[in-house]
Amino acid sequence: MAGLAWGRKYLMCPPHHFGVLYEINPWMHAEVAVEHDLASRQWTDLVATLRLAGAEVVTMDPQPEVPDLVFTANAGIVNGDQFVPSHFRHPERQGETEIDAAWFAELGFRVERLPAELDHEGAGDALPFTPESGQTVLVSGYSFRSDAAAIPELGRLLGCPIKAVQLVDPRLYHLDLTFCPLDERRAICAPTGWDSYGRTVIEALVPEPLWLEEDEALSFCANSVVVGTTVVMPTTPVRVGRQLEAWGFTVVESPVDEFLKAGGGCRCLTLSLDTVLTP
Amino acid sequence: MATETVTLSGHIVDSLLLAKVLDTIVDAGVTYELVQVDIGRTNTDASTARIKVDGDQQVLDRLIDELQLHGANRVSPGTTTLVAADTEGVLPAGFYSTTNLDTDVLVDDQWLSVENPEMDCAIVITDDTARTVPMHRVRIGDRIVVGSGGVRVHAPETLRGASVFEFMSSEVSSEKPKALIVHKVADRIRAAREAGLKVLAVCGPAVVHTGGAPDIARLVEAGWINVLFAGNGFATHDIESNVLGTSLGVSLAEGTPTEGGHSNHLRVINEIRRHGSIAAAVEAGYVRDGAMAACVRNGVPFVLGGSIRDDGPLPDVITDTAAAADAMRAHVPGVGVALMLASTLHAIAVGNCLPAGVETFCVDINQAVVTKLADRGSHQALGIVTDVGPFLGHLADELGA
Repeated sequence: MAGLAWGRKYLMCPPHHFGVLYEINPWMHAEVAVEHDLASRQWTDLVATLRLAGAEVVTMDPQPEVPDLVFTANAGIVNGDQFVPSHFRHPERQGETEIDAAWFAELGFRVERLPAELDHEGAGDALPFTPESGQTVLVSGYSFRSDAAAIPELGRLLGCPIKAVQLVDPRLYHLDLTFCPLDERRAICAPTGWDSYGRTVIEALVPEPLWLEEDEALSFCANSVVVGTTVVMPTTPVRVGRQLEAWGFTVVESPVDEFLKAGGGCRCLTLSLDTVLTP
Repeated sequence: MATETVTLSGHIVDSLLLAKVLDTIVDAGVTYELVQVDIGRTNTDASTARIKVDGDQQVLDRLIDELQLHGANRVSPGTTTLVAADTEGVLPAGFYSTTNLDTDVLVDDQWLSVENPEMDCAIVITDDTARTVPMHRVRIGDRIVVGSGGVRVHAPETLRGASVFEFMSSEVSSEKPKALIVHKVADRIRAAREAGLKVLAVCGPAVVHTGGAPDIARLVEAGWINVLFAGNGFATHDIESNVLGTSLGVSLAEGTPTEGGHSNHLRVINEIRRHGSIAAAVEAGYVRDGAMAACVRNGVPFVLGGSIRDDGPLPDVITDTAAAADAMRAHVPGVGVALMLASTLHAIAVGNCLPAGVETFCVDINQAVVTKLADRGSHQALGIVTDVGPFLGHLADELGA
């Protein structure tokens, strides 16, 4: 099996300044201290695991004023040589936009922007699924962090169809906590995070979904990084691991507990740089 | 009742966003209309839907907040542009041309309802009121709405007591049971009177030729007709038939031409001109009966509009057509039902002055007349294809006139 076509090159940001300094999702508690050494070790381990799985990892410089820059999945959306930077809902993260835009511009990406008044938190709320028909569809979550109205604008900029799915569980506030494409037939799906229309949309799109129970979803196992046929997970519920292995995937656990304190897992710490949405 | 329009775009069909938005609207107990739906041809094309919602303003405000979550946004009404007229009787270029539908204009963040809805006019704003103005009545300095920004038009509501309309389904047909139709029209006239609204009759000369004028008189006397519009012909033949017993020289009793009858109407017009007005001739006892005499005796206002074909004309006929139209306009507010009786061009002229909310029944032996009225924009007109004389007799009987 070939596994996922994209996801061989990632952008990450070292957690030098990472900490839970504010609370913008139900997982964040400012009184909970982050163990910096442990966080750094977990991050370095994740980089090593991804490289071992065959992925290239590039990094950007951390910035003290924006601790969540470490969650590069929210930098924006990559489509070939095009980059659409995120517009963050919370003021605490809005400073990241220009840092991300500048980084991508320097690397020669075409930076194209959403209208200023619309929020969209990048690959954290939008992941591509390419079914056997070959037409890549971007699945975009909305409600907690991204505006539904941003989605058609995003579609215009990217030139690919986008299916909008409403997120309904504040604990699963980004799409990438509920949806993880595995290959052209399969994806890890957390239906409790979606409204009934969203479930119907995903059912129609993904022929063989791996449906997560609520407790499995809350373990952030959908927030995994897929490199070919290797699935790098923060923790692996037994049933989920067995199913993935039965399908022929290699499951590698890479604990990121310190980052879970901020509501982020493995996927949140990475941004795929080789995503191509349009042929 | 308020109306708002929202638009939704993107992959709204595949994402079930359209379904979700419509479900949300229905759950809010609000009615909607899909004004426009453009479905993308391929699965990469975006689709767009414009959805009009009708309901209580507070409910709509809450609903629209909820719809915004799903990316459906209120269509901006735009800004109203007002331009002062700089020439008497001339509108600023690009003026907003009205329909006969209820219309609102956004002025200083407030929706003003446009008074006297009438098609093919402009909208003039004075202080905090908006009203229609026909071109020839615009004065220097009048602030006229230019462009369509800030203007919203309400779709015609389902008319009061839709039964008769459902029954006729706005089709013009000669094959509907006439007795039933007469009964339904009588119901609408009664309903208008109960609602304190006026009934307008627009009469063509064929009303007299077919023997319907005495029934008009009965309806006027019993208070079922409250204002009458006609031309020189109807009034002349009505008077001729009462003074000389002929209509256009044909005996109404015998149905045969009378000797020298072709000039009867001229002699009658001549005598009325001698009296100075129809009212004076009625008072002098020259005209004793008929529709016009009934109007005079019962204080029912009438407007006689002139045409280039008129003989005489009668002294009451307003030969300046713009002035005649203005005289008719003065009687339009408060009209609830209009009966267009065997009158082609006059009916169209009156139809142009009526708001779309006026229930209009067009009675003519010729199907084309009704179609023509609707084609000129009076979509609220319902056609009854029948001989007007017997129709009026039945209607007067039905109303107990």
